[in-house]
Amino acid sequence: MTLSDSALADTPVAPARPASRGVPPPLVLGIGLLAAWWAIAALVDSAVMPTPVTAVERLLVNLQSTRFLDSAADTVLRLLTAYVGVAVVGAVTGFLLGLARFWAAAVSPLLYAVYSVPKIVLFPLFLLFLGLGDASQVGFAFFSGVLPMVLLVSAAAAAVPPLPLKLAASLRMSTPAVITKIVLPSILPAFAGALRLTFGLTFLGLLIAEMFTGVSGLGYELLRNVPLVRMGDIVGEVVLVILIALAPAIGLRTLETRVRARFGTTTEGDGR
Amino acid sequence: MTAALPRYARPRPDRLLGLTPAVWTGVLAVLALAALEVLARTVVDPIDLVPPTTMVVRTAELLGTAGFVTGQVLPSLGLIAAAFALAGVAGVGLAYTMWRSPWWRLALQPYLNVYYAIPIFAVYPILVVLLGTGGVPIVLLSAAFGAVVVVTNSLLGFDSVPEPVRKLARSRNLGTRRYLTAILLPAALPDIASGLRLGLVYATIGVLATEFILSTRGLGHEIADAYHTFRTADMYAGILLICLLALALNIAVGAVLDRLDWRRR
Repeated sequence: MTLSDSALADTPVAPARPASRGVPPPLVLGIGLLAAWWAIAALVDSAVMPTPVTAVERLLVNLQSTRFLDSAADTVLRLLTAYVGVAVVGAVTGFLLGLARFWAAAVSPLLYAVYSVPKIVLFPLFLLFLGLGDASQVGFAFFSGVLPMVLLVSAAAAAVPPLPLKLAASLRMSTPAVITKIVLPSILPAFAGALRLTFGLTFLGLLIAEMFTGVSGLGYELLRNVPLVRMGDIVGEVVLVILIALAPAIGLRTLETRVRARFGTTTEGDGR
Repeated sequence: MTAALPRYARPRPDRLLGLTPAVWTGVLAVLALAALEVLARTVVDPIDLVPPTTMVVRTAELLGTAGFVTGQVLPSLGLIAAAFALAGVAGVGLAYTMWRSPWWRLALQPYLNVYYAIPIFAVYPILVVLLGTGGVPIVLLSAAFGAVVVVTNSLLGFDSVPEPVRKLARSRNLGTRRYLTAILLPAALPDIASGLRLGLVYATIGVLATEFILSTRGLGHEIADAYHTFRTADMYAGILLICLLALALNIAVGAVLDRLDWRRR
């Protein structure tokens, strides 16, 4: 099984959505879960089981403290840096590797082997070589996302269908024209999919790095509250983390759906 | 004719310097290890990097220590097995529920779509406060991490039953249970198997990462501890061991799951 099969097939992009009237089921489920949480918290009435209101209150209180805001800003900034790095470095490397099809075939198994290692155990190496600061955390977040990006983009670039290429050759198209008119459009769907997939991986890597390093950032804030048993704070922070992850995730999914609709292989393109 | 063909339209060369891509993979791997060995023995501080040969020797020594195997390796493997089993059962069960009930499918689908965008490890501190630092929060989190990939793959499998087969089943008046065991599960098995294979990878990551972040024992904890106490050789030995274990686990479980996959036979 290739990475593109497994990683991109795991979440079908366009679920069947029959027209339904009334309250949308996802909303009902969300409200139901929230109500269940509230009811349990009210029944248990314990400090380790905050109600949703307590959690949001604690989050709002925390958001007024400069230290917490700095931590949140640190996380967002690190995430952005690492993710831009993943998108640019990963895509360019993957693209170049994919064009050199022989080397793509030789190097991919190595990258795939590194990719299949539970990467978290390599984090101490980042600390050893990059220190305790931002560099190691951004570096690890980058490392968490860049391999799938390289693998997916290079696989797509190496798998450009031969027929358009032969047509281009018979039309005597120049290599730059082939790249902009055939290769790039045909790898765009895989690139959009990889953008979505690697965002989650990058954020995950960053959060784990922050939890382990314990200097600053939302991961650190989460873990700092464990010995203090400040559950309201912890749950509030989890809500914040989810909010930070959700907006780009939805945006990237929309982007992917559009790119697939426009450039995907399933739709018959007219090759404009 | 071939000479006039632009480079992009030529087929991929079979060999370079007489070697196939697979051989080059091996050559590159050996070169990388050799470079690491040389670097570790010359330029880099031994507190930062130990040579690969030393890693291998130290791994073998650790594996010869009974306390290390029973105290760190086996507990981690046990947690991985538990998390994997839970993720598999919950994942296939949830997928079946979603397949049976369009309402549940509509309700859950958007959450599943964004699930892996959210760093689920953020929830680990909550579980630790509620359940302590033992194996239970680790198994729960790792199972939750692995279950969704099982759900999405199993759903693909359940959806793959061809329409004529469904009609045939209806005309034969197959009951729900018969339909499940005679048609649905066998048809979905290859997809469930690939979901389980990924679920294992996720469960392994989950266990090692949670042990690494906060726990009292296990391989992940051992690596974190070795880092904190400057036992560099032990740290690298642990990392090497995890790489080997993950590889062996994937190959072993992959071989079992491949036998379930009738599409490959």
